[in-house]
Order: sequence, then C-alpha cells, then structure tokens
Amino acid sequence: MADGLLETRDAYRHFLDIQTRWADNDLYGHVNNVTFYSYFDTVINRYLIDAGGLDIQDGRVVGYAVETMCRFHRPVAYPEALQAGLRIGQLGTSSARYEVGIFADGDDAAVADGHFVHVFVDREAGRPVPIPDGIRQALERLLVADEAAA
Amino acid sequence: MNREAPAHLAVTRDDFPYRLQVPTRWGDNDMLGHLNNVVYHRIIETVVVRFTLDRLGVDWQADAAYPVSVDSRCRFHRQLSFPETVEAALRIAKIGNTSVTFDLALFGEDEEVPAATGHFVHVYIDRDGQQATPLPTSVREILENLA
Repeated sequence: MADGLLETRDAYRHFLDIQTRWADNDLYGHVNNVTFYSYFDTVINRYLIDAGGLDIQDGRVVGYAVETMCRFHRPVAYPEALQAGLRIGQLGTSSARYEVGIFADGDDAAVADGHFVHVFVDREAGRPVPIPDGIRQALERLLVADEAAA
Repeated sequence: MNREAPAHLAVTRDDFPYRLQVPTRWGDNDMLGHLNNVVYHRIIETVVVRFTLDRLGVDWQADAAYPVSVDSRCRFHRQLSFPETVEAALRIAKIGNTSVTFDLALFGEDEEVPAATGHFVHVYIDRDGQQATPLPTSVREILENLA
C-alpha cells in the first residue's frame, strides 16, 4: 500500500492453492494478518518437501526462520480461495530468501506480499550447514534476480 | 544474507514503555520444539492490540476510525519455547498522519537480550469510507506522550 507498486503473478515461479478456513477471519471479518504468515509457512514447506525432498520427520537438516515480513494491500476473507506465489530472491551457502505473494482468485495483483529467510541447520548440532543438493536444485529453479536491492 | 542486520539487538526491556507478559501454550511449539515463527507474529499482534485497547482507548466496534495492520516484520534471534512466558515489549517508532509504527521486542524468561525484534504498522481507516484517515486526536496525544 505504502509503496504503491503491487506485485503481480508473473513475478513468481511457483504457485500453491490455499483454501481459506472459517477461523482465518478475525473480528473484522477478514483473514487475520498473522494468518498470512502461516500461508507463507505452508507454501515454502510444501515446496521444500515436494520439490526438494525435505524430510521433515527424520532429515538431518532443518530450516530455521530468521526473518519474516509481510505487507498487506487489501483484505481477503473466508471462504475465498487464494493462491500463494513463490520465488527465491537470494540463495546463499546455508540460507535462502523466499519471496511470497498472496493472490485472490482471478486477481493479478497481490493482496499481500513479503519475504521469509531460512537458515538451514544441522538438526542435532543446531549449526548452519550447506543447503542439501536436492533442496538447492529445487530452490535454484525459482531463483530470480535480486530485485529487493533495487 | 544479513544485509538487514538486527540493529537493535542491543535493546533491553527498559527501552520499551509498554510491556505485556504472554504465556505460551503447548501448541505454540512446532515439530522443531520451539515456537513456530507465525506465533511470534501472534504475540506481537497481541501486545499491539492490548496497547491499542488499554492505553489508546480505541473501541474497535464503535469508533469512527479504527486501525488495520498494513506491514509487519519479525527477526528471529533466539528460540523461544513453551512453557516459558514471553515478555512482549512495545515502543512508538513513528507517528504519521494516518499511521503509527511500533517497534517490538520479545524477551524470554530471565533473558536480557531480545529473542526477536520487529515492527508493526497500524493505519487508521474511516469506518464509513474505508479510506485511510488521520489518527484520532486522543490517540495522537497519547502516542506523542509516549514517543
């Protein structure tokens, strides 16, 4: 809202359908702001599992969130169907910056957009480790030029 | 990765004029054994809302202008876990014409350094027009006294 420019669908490389739920709406009758972060969690982890082979139960490497942010452009409400768009803005040795746009059915402009930074760590030691190959390859497929620096 | 380095990790509880004790719940921990990242935002929302109700005196149901969130951010420095009680701390970062930005920090039990820091922006909306509207006078006065 403050920045004027809205993200559009063509800026994202992967999409996941998000079905809103009754309890996503708060007292204002809209999807609560915090709930958008659970959509972020959902699209990111589903992609890591489905495309990157992340084993959330037994894998040696897990992702820790180190920063998340979201800008809210317009309200949406249950029972709307949404789509979450995903791309990678930065890929480091052990970290990835996901950029997420949330879209209402039929709309090209994001209703919310933000980012999420993961550091991959050894589950036992809790120390950063290089991103496993399968996950790295999946993330590279969504990598775009770093427009956040612009 | 850390070009937006956590500049205010150095803050302490005393830097924040409004603080709220927030007990955690069993279900706040995710399968990695600490609070899920989304829950940090829920705690931040809770302290912002309680401050808005209790200190700013906003009546969400009746007032002509009411706040909606337009922007939020959290940086995670250290893990928090159930069953600890989190101290959520708030200060006024910026007062705009139609918006207020809060700085927030979450402290674990017996911890001097925040486990997370962030911000949260409220814009006041006209109940009838659904447009951004200037902060109510009473709200602005209280915010200015605390800033």
